[in-house]
This record gives sequence, C-alpha cells and structure tokens, in this order.
Amino acid sequence: MNIIETKNLTKTYRRFIKPEGLRGSIKSLWNREYVEKTAIKDFDFTMEEGELIGLIGPNGAGKTTLTKMFTGIIAPTSGEINVLGYYPNDLRNQFKKQYAVVMGQKSQLFYELTVNDTLRLFKEIYGLEERQFQASKAYFTELFEVKDLMDVQVRTLSLGERMKMELIAALLHSPKILFLDEPTIGLDAIAAGQIRRFLSEVNRDRKTSIILTSHYMEDIKALCSRCLVLSHGSKLYDGGTGELFERYRRNKKITVTFSIRADGIELPSYVQILKKTPDKLILQVPKERAGGILSELMHYSPVDVTVEEDEIGVVVERIYREELEETQEKNHGTKEKKAISDADGGVWE
Amino acid sequence: MKMGMSKYREIARTYLKMQLAWRADVAFNMVFTVSKIIFAYLLWGMIFREREMVAGFTLYGMLSYYIVSSFLSQLDMSAGISEEISSRIRNGAFSNYMVLPVSIEGYFTAMETGVALFYLGFDFAAAAVWVFVFRIEFAVTHHFFIVMCAMIMALMGLFFMVQLNYFLGILTLKYKEISTFLMIKNNLMLLVTGGVVPLALFPEAFISVMKLLPFYYVTYLPAMLFTGGCEEEAVRGIVVLAFWCLVMQAVITVIWRRYRKKYDGVGI
Repeated sequence: MNIIETKNLTKTYRRFIKPEGLRGSIKSLWNREYVEKTAIKDFDFTMEEGELIGLIGPNGAGKTTLTKMFTGIIAPTSGEINVLGYYPNDLRNQFKKQYAVVMGQKSQLFYELTVNDTLRLFKEIYGLEERQFQASKAYFTELFEVKDLMDVQVRTLSLGERMKMELIAALLHSPKILFLDEPTIGLDAIAAGQIRRFLSEVNRDRKTSIILTSHYMEDIKALCSRCLVLSHGSKLYDGGTGELFERYRRNKKITVTFSIRADGIELPSYVQILKKTPDKLILQVPKERAGGILSELMHYSPVDVTVEEDEIGVVVERIYREELEETQEKNHGTKEKKAISDADGGVWE
Repeated sequence: MKMGMSKYREIARTYLKMQLAWRADVAFNMVFTVSKIIFAYLLWGMIFREREMVAGFTLYGMLSYYIVSSFLSQLDMSAGISEEISSRIRNGAFSNYMVLPVSIEGYFTAMETGVALFYLGFDFAAAAVWVFVFRIEFAVTHHFFIVMCAMIMALMGLFFMVQLNYFLGILTLKYKEISTFLMIKNNLMLLVTGGVVPLALFPEAFISVMKLLPFYYVTYLPAMLFTGGCEEEAVRGIVVLAFWCLVMQAVITVIWRRYRKKYDGVGI
C-alpha cells in the first residue's frame, strides 16, 4: 500500500533581486524584481508502507524542500501530493499525529528542561494513554540505552545523546512515517553507527516507514535498500542502493608502503598515481584490475598494504554528473524524436 | 486517545517549569519585586506627606491602584510572542510548531499562560508583602459584580494581547520584518494607557475615541474597577473588549489562511 504518492510535484520559490549599492536599495523600494527558483520539478514518487528510503543530493538539490512538502510545512506550487491520504499542507491534526520529523539542526527538545519533561509534553500533545506512553518510553530508553539521562537538563547532553533523545521524542507516538533530515550530522563514528542501528530496528520491529535525508553515504548504504538521487530539483535515480553503488563505485585506492625505495617500480598505464614518496605509493585503479595490480606489487615485498573503496564524495559527484548527462541526453533524444514525429505527423496530415 | 485541553494545560505547565529552571533568575525576580514595592511605598509616601489626596486618590487608594495595575501589566508577557514567532519564521524554526498536532495560536496562548502563572506567583507574594509587612489597607471595591467584571476584563485583556501579538508575529509570513509594526503597537499602547501623557490631559473627544479601542480595557480599566473607580464603564468595557477579541480572531483566521502558504521554512 502506498503511503506517499506525488505526481508532477513542483515547488518554485520567488527571490527578491536587489541591484547593488544604495541606488539599487532605493530603486528596489518601488520597483522590485524577482526571480523564480524551481526547487522541485515534476517530481513523481511513491512510497510503500514499511520502506526505508534514502534521499541524497548536493546542497540545493531539493531534498529538504521535498521533506517540507511531505510534512505540510510548505505548500507545493503545483502537482499532486498525497501523504497517508491527506494533502499535507492542510495541516490537519489527524495527519500530523501520524508522522514525525527530526531535523538534525532544529531541536524539538526544551534545553532548560529534562527529557522526561519534554516527553510528558509530547504525551499530551499526541494524546497518548499513560500506559501506552510508559510502554513506548521504556522501549526506547532501553533501545537507545539512555535510562540514566532522562532526568538531566537537555542542554547538558552531548550531541549524540541529544540526537537519541530527539528520536525518542519523535517516535514516542509510534508514527507511521518518520522523516529524518541529517540525523547523524556532527556525530562521531560510534554515535552515528548507534543511531543507524536504532533506526534499522525501529523500521524492522515497529514497521515505521522512514525517509532519510543525509549527506553521509554511510547512512544511506547502511540503512536504505532504496534511494533517490536528486539534483536541481529533479530525480536522477530511484532504485536499489546496492545497484547504485555497484554502478558508480568503480575504483580502488591502494596504499603501499615499501621497505626499499619505490622508484623503480613500473606501473601499467591504467594505474593512476595519486601520491608518491620514496617508500610509499598511493594508487587508483579500476576495481576489476585491483587484484592484478596487487599481485604485481607483492613482488616488491611491501611492508604494508591498504585497499579502500572510492571515496563517497567521488561516487556522489560521479552519480550527479553521469545521471545528469544521461537525463539530458534522453531529453534531447525525446525532443529530437518528438520533432521527427511532429514532422511525420505533419506529413500525414 | 485523550483529546482536548490537556495538551494546552501541559504546554502551560512546561513553560512554567522553564521559568523555574534557573534559581538565580527566580531569586532576582523575588528581589526585584520587593524592591519595587519599597520604591513605590517611599515615592508615594513622600508625595502624600504634604497632601491628603492626589488626582482623587488617597495614599492607600493610589497604592492599591499601583499594586493592581502593576500586577496586571506584569502578567502581560505577550510581547515576547510576536518576537518569538517573527524570529522563528525568519530562521525556519517555526516549522517545529507547524508539525505539532496543536493549534499554533493555542500553543502560544498556553505558553503565555505558563509564563504568566510564574509572574502571578510573584504578584501574590508582592501582595502579601504589601498587606502583611507594609500594613497597606487595600482600597478595593466591595461590589461582587464589579470584581467579576474586572476579572473577566483582565483575562480578556490578556487574551487580546496574546491575539494581537500573535497576529503581528504571523505578519512576518508576508512582510518578513515586523519591527515597525511592533513599534507602532508599543507607542499606541503607551499613549492609550496614559503612559506618555496622563489620560486626563487629553480632550474629552479624544478619550472617547480611545475608549473604542481595546487597549484602554487591558490594564487601566480593570485596575480602576478593582480599586473602586469607573464602575459605570464595567459592562461597556467587557462588550468593547469582547468585540475586539472576536474581530482579532477573525483577522487572525483570514491572515493565517492567506499567508501560511508563503512560509518557506528557510533555514532548515
């Protein structure tokens, strides 16, 4: 069953343009110019109950705009949107009770108060029975291992602890959909890993559907079986996360340290030398050739070898570049076909 | 699922708890309240040393008016609402309110109630100091009906101020910058409540016009009613204020419906 459906969803912002200088400021008092920026363009999307979908894209791709439209915070400019059977921007309380949103940089907690105080407020706001409230609280405090932190002021919590509390506050009323915007931003690797594990459990055990926006590919890779790549408000990719990385993660980075000088080593032309010192080489090779080059290097008795996958940033950049090129080519092809078909049509007429 | 007012009660309680979070803040509020009392007692004591009556008030009548009006004006903490809404709309944090299953206006009313309850505690403490330490005899009206009118009017006045500040706050959706609106409101309030020039110095016609506006009934008239003055204006005051509350609510509904779509949540 689809819990989110959009068709040709578009959001356009209007921006005020002020000419430079004092004269521009004065002129803009009576003659104001605006430019339109399309944040989301003709976006078609469906999400089934229980899915965990990752939204990736560079800054300004439209990820947050999309989340804001799903939650009703902003109204679409055109197109159709249906979330849990509602038009989100009607802002009906019945609708708002069925989802939760956690924005990494915007807290729902009261810094002067304790988490227990905030949760008590959320219990009343979401109309939870005492028994349901206590059961949910017990489940999450145990899952997130934060039982000892419930009665301390929120402002004294670490960033990782605070994010766990944000998630508890958001999940307390058992929402059907959880929207997460950069939940691991600023967290260290351990805390980020914990958050990922909790989210995975919540999705599996509580059947909570999750839309996760993140710049950290590790979040997306670890959690989302499906992901969407956005760029300039358009969908570049919608499909399996594994396939996406299989397709775009093409190189291996090999770092080799030698006990002797590495000057005399001859390398094939497909190997790119990223860094070279007398006793160390950092190489980039196509992933299917990594095994071959490694066995070659073993002849020089290296003292240390590390093999890393393509850096996430490189992969993302590649996705954007190539998907964009592909889309442009397709559009161009469609236009050409349309021109031919129009011309054909003209002949037939 | 429980519905209704309990969420707003809990919001008020939460904001009351927030006021109590800082011990030094509470302590300094206490000191400020007592020093205000001492200052007022000394000031009016000096003025009344030479004469029995000032502007129709005896010393106790004047002190009673001062206590009640400062009591009411201290309860009105609504100015913070417009600033809070405005800054949150501008930095995108207003989204936090939009995703909660509550009426946003109701949320801010409850928030104001929580903060006001904190100051109400100090007001009662101050009243106790007046009565038991300074042995002030409160010059209050003995008419139950007038006391009821004054209380209703005071509550409606506080509610109207919440509405007004909420209205000004949501104007940020359209105008982005509302400091000029706030300045106009503040100056109008000062003028109409006699804060700039005593009301008695204005021509009769001007005062009559001001009495059609709600501000006269927010602090000044309830304070006068409690202390036994202007009793003939009690019912009219409630009617005028109720009218303004209804008008303001209608305006808020229209403005919210129209401008909420302009919110872009920039900053998140």
